Amino acid sequence: MTQILAIIRNDLKVYFSDRRAFIMLFIVPIGLASFMGSVFNGSGGPSGGGGMAILIVDQDGSAVSRGVVEAFATDPTFRVAVTNEAAARELVLNGKRPVALVLPRGLGTDILPGLFDTNRKPVITVLHDPSHSMERSMVEGMLIPKVIRSVVQNGLSAELGRDHIRRGLTDIDNTAGIADRDRKLYRVMLERADEFLAVRTDRAPSAAAGGGATGATNGAAGKGGFDLPMPFVAKSVPLIRSSTGRYNGYAHSFAGMSLQFVMMSLLDMSVGLLRERESGIFRRLRSTPLSRATLLVGKGLSYALVGFVSLTGCFAFAMAVFDVRIEGSWTGFIACLALTSTMASSLALAMAALGRTPAGTRGIGIAVLLLLLMVGGAWVPAFILPRWIQQAALVTPTRWALDCFDSMTWRGLGLDAAYGSIGFLLGFTLLAALVTWLRFRWDPE
Amino acid sequence: MEGPLLVVRQLVKRFGTRTAVDGVSFEVRAGEAVGLLGPNGAGKTTTLSMVSGLLAADSGEVLLAGRPIEGDTDPRKRLLGLVPQELALYEPISARDNLAFFGALQGMKGAALADAARSALELVGLADRARDLVKTFSGGMKRRLNLAVALLHDPQLLLLDEPTVGVDPQSRNALFDNIEALRRRGKTILYTTHYMEEVERLCDRVIIMDHGKVIADDTLAGLKRRERGGAQVCCELSVSVDAACLEMIGGLPGILRAELDGTRLTLHVSDLHDGLGAALDHLRRIDVVVTSVGSRQPSLEDIFLGLTGRTLRDV
Repeated sequence: MTQILAIIRNDLKVYFSDRRAFIMLFIVPIGLASFMGSVFNGSGGPSGGGGMAILIVDQDGSAVSRGVVEAFATDPTFRVAVTNEAAARELVLNGKRPVALVLPRGLGTDILPGLFDTNRKPVITVLHDPSHSMERSMVEGMLIPKVIRSVVQNGLSAELGRDHIRRGLTDIDNTAGIADRDRKLYRVMLERADEFLAVRTDRAPSAAAGGGATGATNGAAGKGGFDLPMPFVAKSVPLIRSSTGRYNGYAHSFAGMSLQFVMMSLLDMSVGLLRERESGIFRRLRSTPLSRATLLVGKGLSYALVGFVSLTGCFAFAMAVFDVRIEGSWTGFIACLALTSTMASSLALAMAALGRTPAGTRGIGIAVLLLLLMVGGAWVPAFILPRWIQQAALVTPTRWALDCFDSMTWRGLGLDAAYGSIGFLLGFTLLAALVTWLRFRWDPE
Repeated sequence: MEGPLLVVRQLVKRFGTRTAVDGVSFEVRAGEAVGLLGPNGAGKTTTLSMVSGLLAADSGEVLLAGRPIEGDTDPRKRLLGLVPQELALYEPISARDNLAFFGALQGMKGAALADAARSALELVGLADRARDLVKTFSGGMKRRLNLAVALLHDPQLLLLDEPTVGVDPQSRNALFDNIEALRRRGKTILYTTHYMEEVERLCDRVIIMDHGKVIADDTLAGLKRRERGGAQVCCELSVSVDAACLEMIGGLPGILRAELDGTRLTLHVSDLHDGLGAALDHLRRIDVVVTSVGSRQPSLEDIFLGLTGRTLRDV
């Protein structure tokens, strides 16, 4: 027991002798936990986030389509921008927005007949970035209640609604393929709805309609147990420039995972640099005609080379095994590899300069990397994060690096699409290098 | 070369309130092997750090071949070869790769670097292990490689900072052989240690430091001639003598001081003939028989004791 206590006491003394490591022991978990808490506190999910930025193209301009736009716009889950189809396609193709809804011409007039006439169902197109399938699913899921709600509010609350119902009653009789039992039930439902509108045209039916919409979404309309057909068709259209016409998810996952690994490996190398400084190697280095700048540039380039080789190897594997292709510019792709490597290298050296000791650097490094990865959307979809974090993500190097790889691989964009990332990564590299230059010391602290 | 290769003048270095080096001055001439001797904490390594440009002095100056080292990239650093106290090697790579790396930092390349690496490895007896990873070396081999790296660029002044710390006796002897070979080649050496026997074996001049100051700077012979550090005569007596008698003997002409350990009387004499004769006469008068007499030259340990009143092991 005495020996165990002695070991514990000694270990604690050794560990806490590094004040920076001691502080990091608390600051990093407390800081991260507080940050994550502030992000997710009370949200329980997407509604607490800054909202998913989506585009809506309203080609109809009817009360129903305007109602759909308004329903999305007033939902805090979304941040809506209305635009035209060409602009929407370009923004989704370039990865600037995950989803764009195209509300077609005739939506307002065809929506109710579409309930019963499969040939007249308006087609709502969901243009989406194939790397954002979760966002696409969410928009599609929310589309049904919002359309139904708009139809009920704008179609059934006016005489137009009664016209639709009367046309619907005619269509039911003329439409083949509906079972007699269902035909009767549809007639009863529409006649009751007609009576309801005739008597209470002034009353807002939102609550009842909302319930109906939910029921419709779930595929069962009340106790009758028959299926209520959707009055529209949601057509999902992934936008991609790939020559194969399909999205290869491995391109995105290899970019993300290899970037994470490279950043962690280079952090480890920067810790090794501090160990060198604490050993006699730095004394020997300093006895040679070697400047601090030369040492740091040499170390930075060697780290960058390690990162470059690692990233290149990962992508080569993905290309050979998972058919990942450089659909965009090869020059841009190589520039992304090079700039991402130098960014990671420069960041690792800056963390060593700021961390000062191996333990301190490891603490700072883990905190910085976790934040960069989380804010960059590596752990959770960006749309569930608060808006300020989504905006902060725009200045994270991880986000720009991943955008660059996505653009040059499966998005199939040209070299000009990489200029922004190249510029940002270069700027970040220089900034981190400046921090390193100002803070790194020859002597251990 | 005219004038000393290394001149150190009034060097001062403080760390907070502690003065690690306090006005140290000395010179080293080309071809000399100078020992910087002192207990741990005497300021030897700090002095060596300032000499090699690793540490800036608070005041004073260091001149190498007549000029100070100016800045990290001063090519005059190539005049120096530093063997740090710690092993300054990359263990995951081979001995030859270590030499190639440090040689390149000294501006060497190509065949010249390869030849220099081969010569350095031959000198330290590691030529047959050139391709082996350093992590497979014994402690003694690593120490020898540590020396080889410093020799690679053929520096004019070799700075060895306690190179035998933690080395087993066999490896230490191998290292001494290497350093003696360098001496024979006329290499100038500044060697810090707190082992007396190393300085006695390897150096022809000794600078003794204590509490950040130089307390002696002389040749070995000169130091041994110093007051309280003269020849010693050991007499085995038939019976012990009292304190008054011991004081009496210590005050005789030619005797610096007398010490008694049981029946063993040690006389520190400034003049062997006069001192020993007077002591033997006095002992005969008080009927004490001297059963044996022997003499020896003082060691550096004795000199340090004489200078500081402490042994190296006390501090």
